[in-house]
Amino acid sequence: MKKFMIILSIMVLLLTAGCAKTETAGGQKTIRIAEQYGIAYAPVQIMKAQGLLEKNCPGIAISWEQMNNTAAIREAMVADRLDAGFMAIPPFLIGWDNGMDWKIATGLSSVPTGLVTNTSINNLAELSEKDRIAVPQPGSVQHILLAMACDRDFGYPQKLDNQLVTLSHPDGMNALLSGGDVTAHFTATPYLEKELATPGFHQILSGNEAFGGEFSFIVGVTTKKLHDQNPEVYAAFNQAVAEAITFIKDHPQEAAVILSDAYDLPEAGVLAYLSAADTEYSQTVKGLQTFSDFMLKTGYLKKSFENPTAVIWEQTDYED
Amino acid sequence: MKPIIEICGLGKSYEGRPVLADINLEIGPGELICVIGASGCGKSTLLNLIGGFVKADQGEIRLNGRLVEKPSRQCIMVFQEFDQLFAWQTVRHNIEFALKKAPERLSHPEIRSRADHYLAMVKLSDFGDYYPNQLSGGMKQRTALARALALSPQVLLMDEPFGSLDAQTKRELQETLLEIRQETLATTVFVTHDIREALYLADRIVVLKAGAVAAVIKNQTRNTDETRVAEITALLSP
Amino acid sequence: MKIKELFLKPYSKYIWIALMLVAWELTAKLAPVSPLAFPSLELILTALIDSIINGDILMQMLFSLGLILIGLGIGVALAFMMSFLSVVSPVFASFTDTCVSIFHPLPGIALLPLIILWIGTGSMAILFIIVHSVLWPMILNMTAGFKAIPEVYKKIGKNYEFNTLQSIIRIFVPASLSFLIAGLKISWARGWRAAISAEMIFGASGGIGGIGWYIFNKRVFMDTAGVYAGILMIIAVGIFVEDVVFGQLEKNTIKKWGVA
Repeated sequence: MKKFMIILSIMVLLLTAGCAKTETAGGQKTIRIAEQYGIAYAPVQIMKAQGLLEKNCPGIAISWEQMNNTAAIREAMVADRLDAGFMAIPPFLIGWDNGMDWKIATGLSSVPTGLVTNTSINNLAELSEKDRIAVPQPGSVQHILLAMACDRDFGYPQKLDNQLVTLSHPDGMNALLSGGDVTAHFTATPYLEKELATPGFHQILSGNEAFGGEFSFIVGVTTKKLHDQNPEVYAAFNQAVAEAITFIKDHPQEAAVILSDAYDLPEAGVLAYLSAADTEYSQTVKGLQTFSDFMLKTGYLKKSFENPTAVIWEQTDYED
Repeated sequence: MKPIIEICGLGKSYEGRPVLADINLEIGPGELICVIGASGCGKSTLLNLIGGFVKADQGEIRLNGRLVEKPSRQCIMVFQEFDQLFAWQTVRHNIEFALKKAPERLSHPEIRSRADHYLAMVKLSDFGDYYPNQLSGGMKQRTALARALALSPQVLLMDEPFGSLDAQTKRELQETLLEIRQETLATTVFVTHDIREALYLADRIVVLKAGAVAAVIKNQTRNTDETRVAEITALLSP
Repeated sequence: MKIKELFLKPYSKYIWIALMLVAWELTAKLAPVSPLAFPSLELILTALIDSIINGDILMQMLFSLGLILIGLGIGVALAFMMSFLSVVSPVFASFTDTCVSIFHPLPGIALLPLIILWIGTGSMAILFIIVHSVLWPMILNMTAGFKAIPEVYKKIGKNYEFNTLQSIIRIFVPASLSFLIAGLKISWARGWRAAISAEMIFGASGGIGGIGWYIFNKRVFMDTAGVYAGILMIIAVGIFVEDVVFGQLEKNTIKKWGVA
């Protein structure tokens, strides 16, 4: 009996030890940010390289966490291992819908997005049941944009849901270009441009066509904890994003040098992406209401907000 | 009477070392021959040669006048190992599987009745549905004997089949073998190192020594008394 | 001691599971954890029941199991051919050895980028990964099993003039069955994991997708209770296959024969 109790208490100890976490005490100047790669995240990289957060908040301790998808960022925030991250509006709304205590702090970028197919397909209607469509994941902005187009064209947003294949952007590009069962890929800069430069492939739908206007592709999100307990850091975070965006606009060449270094891409290419007509870096959050309305109507969300302040921190610009 | 097995000038070496040399032997139909000898004298090799399991280097073996080149159903071997039965089949199925291979294409009821017949012959009628792992060593060897007999082979080759059994069981099985012999008249070549066993069973005893036939002894009396044992022991000693 | 005896019985697995569930529920209810990370059992069961009634979880489970069965079938057949040829021919054996040492340590998921290029992303690709996971451990077990067949069985096969097919069916397979079942167990476990991982990456390319896709979907739509519901299903199937399918198979064969 005694032995049994010892074993049991060890088990309880082990179980509870798993739940312990490193607390970030309020007031201390620390921030944990998800670091992601890509043209759409350019201001994040500039912010890091230029030390803009440190400049706006002297003495801050920054921990850059490498993350490669939105689900991981959300999970890290739930586990209180991350304070701020960047993602598209639909996955943010899904997190909010499920009770995550977070809001949008800033817009970040709009970049070219689109659905690329081989040239034998000319529009959505010509995608047969055999065609497979690569998207980064269900619930991603690419998936929601596709659903929006299906809703408008066929009155059936889920029309293509059972033909989705979850592939990261580079895998999706390889799958499309190799000519296998993936015949369509909803992607973004720079994979979009690379695919369109390949003979035999063209774009049948752009993100803006699907959405019916312009929208923020990536926004910056922070937890309520950071916003409430660390206002100084929160303000510095927003300020740093603003300065990074200004830097890209004012000094595109220098920004291209920094990014080409960080992403290991040719400088001229990066500059071309940064200054493309469809690429815009802006702190204004665009398209929030449209995404929310659509996702509520189609069942991807269970609830909506009456006032955008429910999902956007005060002083954040938005338009719809 | 024409011999059923003719062995002529038989020789066998393993890796250059001669195991058997110039063996000549004729075995008549229905005879029970015991081959005895010390371990390593080549008696098992002789049995494997007759069965066609190994090839001779010199000489030849004929079964009914036909050269033996590979194992056949005419000449069934019973081994010493208890696990010669198929562990995955019941006693009955171990016997029936042999019958299914019979050249005369037996019907299912025929197979059953023959299996019953041989089960009774080895006194295992009540154990048909047992798996080998539920049987004693003696019962396993009885089953192996029944399986060998089921095909009515012309020759039964027995490689120390009772060698791992206790004295009591061994005696019972020897008696059963003699009874079976009365009934089936199968020609039997029985290898053993037990002189009393040979004296009890054999019509003739072939004494092998260092790979050669040292003596062939007629054994009509089946007398197993000590003088007889001593007589043969003398033949075996160098 | 009564409590101790309780944990030495065959059903002790279920007592442990019950204890873990209690510990889970206590943590979910009493500890300061977010339901997004640590949903209570009610939430998980509600999600599971909802998925069974309104969703496709059962069909998705069957879809995954179907893929596994086909993959196991192909893998076992291939493994059988290669193992048998290896036993018959030493040259082929060295070829098989080489293949096993190259491919056995290679996780199917590591091949994924190549598989996408070769055969795309459909069920064929998942099947390929399953066959890859099944084939090599199966070959290892089968060749070991064939080598362990007692010499006396092979002699008996010759004595009764079995042809090759008859010796395979009547001797090789049953005589090495304990090895084959051990191989099947490993292959099943590896194939099942590979299938679920691949489904989580490829998505619903076959239509409704499998249980891996179910979990992935629940993840991306942040339905944590749903994720646990999917995991519960996987555990339930795992225990079912291990205890019932393999348990019965062993009970009716190698345990009955006394060769386990």
